Formats: sequence, C-alpha cells, structure tokens
Amino acid sequence: MVEKSNNKRQRVERVPEFFINDHHDVLVEILRRLDGPSLCAAACVCRLWSAVARNDSIWEELCFRQMSPRPSLSLRSVVSALGGYRCLYFLCIRPVLARLPKLLWSRDQLQLSLSLYCVHYYERLYVGAWIGDAPPSSLMFLRKPVNVV
Amino acid sequence: MKRDHQQHLGKTMKEEEDGNGMDELLAVLGYKVRSSEMAEVAQKLEQLEVMMSNVQEDDLSQLATETVHYNPSEIYTWLDSMLSDLNPPSSATDYDLKAIPGDAILNQFSIDSSSSSNQGGDTNTNKRLKCSSADSMAVSSSTAAATMNGVAETTLTTATAESTRALVLVDSQENGVRLVHSLLACAEAVQKENLAMAEALVKQIGFLAVSQVGAMRKVATYFAEALARRIYRLRPTQSPIDHSLSDTLQMHFYETCPYLKFAHFTANQAILEAFQGKQRVHVIDFSMNQGLQWPALMQALALRPGGPPIFRLTGIGPPAPDNFDYLHEVGCKLAHLAEAIHVEFEYRGFVANTLADLDASMLELRPSEIESVAVNSVFELHKLLGQPGAIEKVLGVVNQIKPEIFTVVEQESNHNSPVFLDRFTESLHYYSTLFDSLEAVPSSQDKVMSEVYLGKQICNVVACDGPDRVERHETLSQWRNRFGFSGFSPAHIGSNAFKQASMLLALFNGSEGYRVEESDGCLMLGWHTRPLIATSAWKLSTNQMVSH
Repeated sequence: MVEKSNNKRQRVERVPEFFINDHHDVLVEILRRLDGPSLCAAACVCRLWSAVARNDSIWEELCFRQMSPRPSLSLRSVVSALGGYRCLYFLCIRPVLARLPKLLWSRDQLQLSLSLYCVHYYERLYVGAWIGDAPPSSLMFLRKPVNVV
Repeated sequence: MKRDHQQHLGKTMKEEEDGNGMDELLAVLGYKVRSSEMAEVAQKLEQLEVMMSNVQEDDLSQLATETVHYNPSEIYTWLDSMLSDLNPPSSATDYDLKAIPGDAILNQFSIDSSSSSNQGGDTNTNKRLKCSSADSMAVSSSTAAATMNGVAETTLTTATAESTRALVLVDSQENGVRLVHSLLACAEAVQKENLAMAEALVKQIGFLAVSQVGAMRKVATYFAEALARRIYRLRPTQSPIDHSLSDTLQMHFYETCPYLKFAHFTANQAILEAFQGKQRVHVIDFSMNQGLQWPALMQALALRPGGPPIFRLTGIGPPAPDNFDYLHEVGCKLAHLAEAIHVEFEYRGFVANTLADLDASMLELRPSEIESVAVNSVFELHKLLGQPGAIEKVLGVVNQIKPEIFTVVEQESNHNSPVFLDRFTESLHYYSTLFDSLEAVPSSQDKVMSEVYLGKQICNVVACDGPDRVERHETLSQWRNRFGFSGFSPAHIGSNAFKQASMLLALFNGSEGYRVEESDGCLMLGWHTRPLIATSAWKLSTNQMVSH
C-alpha cells in the first residue's frame, strides 16, 4: 500500500504535465506581458526563448502598451517595412524613454521615434554611397551615454 | 626701489596735493609729479615695468649705453622717454609685436584710434579683466562685448583654475581676452587696409590661440586662418571636389548636432499641417542635398488618418563634379522608401547652378485644385543675396508657384553687412556660440567633420568677397521685411512643431543648453540665450490669392 502511493508520488514528480518550451504560443503570450528589461533578460535565457522573443508582436505590445487609442493597422505595415518593432524599440523607443523619463509615453514621442527610425532606414539604404568607412547613422546621438554632470 | 615707489604711488594717488600742484609726499622723496598727472604716471610705470620684463637682454644694455637719460626726478618726461625708447614708433615694415604684450597694444590703440569703440574704453579695466569661467568662449566674448560698450568690468579671478593648468603663456583667461581683442584688432586693421599691422596681429593670434583649449581654440584657429587668407589674398576657390565634400560634411553635421534635424522636423510639421486633407501633394525642395528631410515627412503622411496622399517631390540642387546624377540616386532611394511604406511617389530632379535660373514653367505644375504645393528651403536663400536681383526673382517664382506654404530655415545672424568689421564681429559671436554648443558632444570623427563644415562657412564669411561670398546670412527680421515686400504673409507654425522640437532637443547631449523659442509664429533654436537658427513659414498674401 505504501509502495504504491510512493510510486504514484514519484511518477507525479518525475513527469511534469506541462513544459513551457513545448508551447510557443503560450510562451509568446507570457512574454508579451513583460516590460522591456525583463523581456530582454528573457531573450537571453536559451536559444529557443531568444528565437521566440524575435516575434515582432511581442515588441509591438511593448511599444504600445500604455497608449490608449491603439494605433492603426497601417502603422504595423509601415513599421514592419522599416525593420520591425524590435529594432524600433532598441534603436529609438528605449533611448527616447531613457532620456525623457518624466513624460508619459504618448503619441508625440511615438511620432518622433518613428520619424527618427524612418531616417535611419533611409540612410542605410545605400551604404556604399558614403565616403568613409562606417555608414552614417543619424541615431548615433541616441546611442551615446548622456553626460550626467 | 622702483617697486617700493610703485606701491607708494598707489597709496599717494588718493592724497591731497600741495600748493604747487606737485604731490607732497613724492616731493619729499625727490620726485616731482603733478597730482593731476598721477594716474597717467602710474599707468606708464606699469607699462614700463611690463615692457622691461619682456624686452631682450641686448636691448636693455642698449638702453643703458646709448639712450639719453632725462632727469628721473621729472617722472613724467622721464617715463615718456623710456617708453618711446623701448617702443619705437611703428614703421610699416618693422613692427615686431612679439615683444609687446597685449596690454601695451591696447594702450596704443586707445591713444591712437579714438574713434574705434571696439577697443574698450578704459585700459585699466582691460588689465583687470578676468573671465569668470575658464575656457568658455561665449563668456569671454560677452565680456569682450562688455568692455566694448564701456560697461564695468566683470569680476573675478579663478585663481585655482589658473594654478592647475600648465600653459605655455602665463594666464589662460587673460590670454582668452587678449585673443578676442587681437582678433577684433586684426579685423579692424584689415578693414583699414593696414595689412602690415594685420599680418603681425595674425601671427600673434596664432600664438594666443594655441594657449586656449576647447571651443575657443577651434574658433580662433578658424578665424585666424580666414583672416590670413584675406590678408594674403588666398581666396579659397570653389574647386570641383567641393560639392560632394560639402555634402559629406553636412551629413556629419546632421548627425552630430540638432540644428539640421530641428530645421527638418519643424519645416516638415508646418508642411504636414498645410497639407491636411489634400489628396495630391507636391513639394519643391530648393535644398535637396541628400534628401534627408523627406523620409520623416513621407512616414508622417503614410500614417496620417485617412491614409497617405499621392506624394510628388521636385528636388533642386547644384551640379555635381563630373556631372554625377546624384539627384537621380536620391530619388531612387526615396522611391524605395516610399514603396516600403506604401506611399505613391513621383520624383523629378533639377540641376541648377543657382536658384535664380529656375522658372515656374519648368516645374510642370498642375492646377491648384488638383495638387497642393509646398516650397521648402533650408539654408539656401542666403546664397542668393550676393547676386543682384536674384532673390527677388526667386521669390517671384515662388509667388507664381502659388504654394500652400513656403518654409524657410535660415541662420539667425547678420553676416551680410557691407562693413567688414561688422560682419567679422557678428560672425565671431555666432560661431563661438555654435562651437560652444558642440563642446557637449563626445569627440568623434563626426564632430571633427562638423567643425570643418562650420570652418568652411567661417572662411567664406571672412575671407571671400563679391560673388564668391555665398554665406550671406541675415536675421529673421531682415527676411521678414523681404518676404513682406515680395507678397508673402507669415503663417504661424503650430504648437505641435514646438512640442516635437523640444522633445527632439531633450534627446541630445548637452540638452540643457538648447532653447526652442517661439517668436511671432516662427521657431528659433538657440544655445543658452543666443538664437542660432530660425524656421519660418509663409503663405501668399490674401490679395494675391484673389487675383488668380
């Protein structure tokens, strides 16, 4: 009698019923609810999670979470064409948020980020055309650390 | 003995005189000085001391043997003779200014050129002047301005700063002031065609510039080079490589600091608002360059409620060396972008040596009921002011185009005065402020190229004249008059543009220095209190619209 219950217990412990890595859609749903730093950390967990984290809808959710009329669908096609939400977040939105912390994330900042992102895309179109080694990047000013005096 | 004498003089300057008009206390020591001349005598003694400390060994011995010594008890005449021996009257060919420190030059000027208000009224004030913050050209130029207006001297010393810095010359702050004074003195000499003096001063400026650091050093170097070019008549020629180089330089300038971005974003906002509700839009760009302004506008049009209009762009630019069709390439890039963001796009590029060659008929305009037009010019209109009649012609053409809006961005400073010295002074202040704002940017190749870009402008303003001088900046109020006469009335740039510009500036390093100001519907970007560029928008005056 005791052995049977032990076996049952052991069986329950040894075989979990649910393993998150088998259910990518559930993983995506969970990741969607994370904030920026947590999401970046999650993307570093393992190769699978890193690949799943490349799903642009997760980043779209991150970008627009606080905005109350949701942006139109045409925005999605424009942003995808320019390189996707993930790049938008890393290149524009995250530095903008870091440097304008007092302001809530609003349409104006989104508009500004999109404009900067668009210029960035445009500049990278013909890399070889520029004189000099590196392609120019108009977003370089966002990458440098802010001088805190 | 001389030192005691000086201290003694300092005390006795305030004391009462005796019956003869001679100072009583000094008379006791055996020196005869009139009380009325005390201040002058003190000044000359200081001068003499400075000069003697700088004069070479052999000169001193020469003084000892060859000079006729006046009776030293008559201090006034004795000082005069000593000073004139050490400081020989200037002959045009033999003016070695290295031996004479800045103060003496200033004294010379205040005696010689009484008409010049630029040299600072009170020489005592000049000597006591120290900048209150080190290395800031803006501060030192404002103190120079203070002395120029004869206003009381700024206070005080930064003794700690002086001691921690090892310099070739003794005192950086004082040299900073001397540097500004030397620059202005040199410009004045050039204005008066006194080229020998100017040449000597330019060499001195070179030495003084090296003793500075940061923005002041760079500005002084560029201005010194430009002055040298003017003096030696080495006019920089417009070589064919220049155009693509200036494009590259402008790209780096675009990336390093916010001025061009501000210009583009504010102009785009004004155009976007003017195009509200229109289904076919046409933008004519006088300043095409690499087309950096248009991606942001196209993206904003793509996302506007109601969907994007049909977007047509006409780009106008100068010919490239070897006739490379860069306008075509820019058009291709923009078309690529337009396709990506689903905006219908049409493009035409025009090469023109000058905007005055343009004619409305070339532009293939469609009737205004179908197509709304905007004209845009960023830092281009001032180049027309050198050619007589050109600006009027271009504004006439814009009138014929009948745009919904005409956006203009220009530098906010008057570098087009017919008097060289005025141009020089204005541009010295303007570019000092501009370089100051660049100091906040971390050093990089971009920053160096931006400085070269500005340096070329400086060279053009100072060294060139006639049709070669294209950087003829004018202030917003001057442009307002011009546009008013040509049938344009101001269109107010809305608060959206202001908000966006403020946000943009907050993203930059050194953002606490940038200021966006609104002035009668125009937006100005400045560094601290000095506005540097101004964006304005114009529409046709209503009586013009009626008669179409």
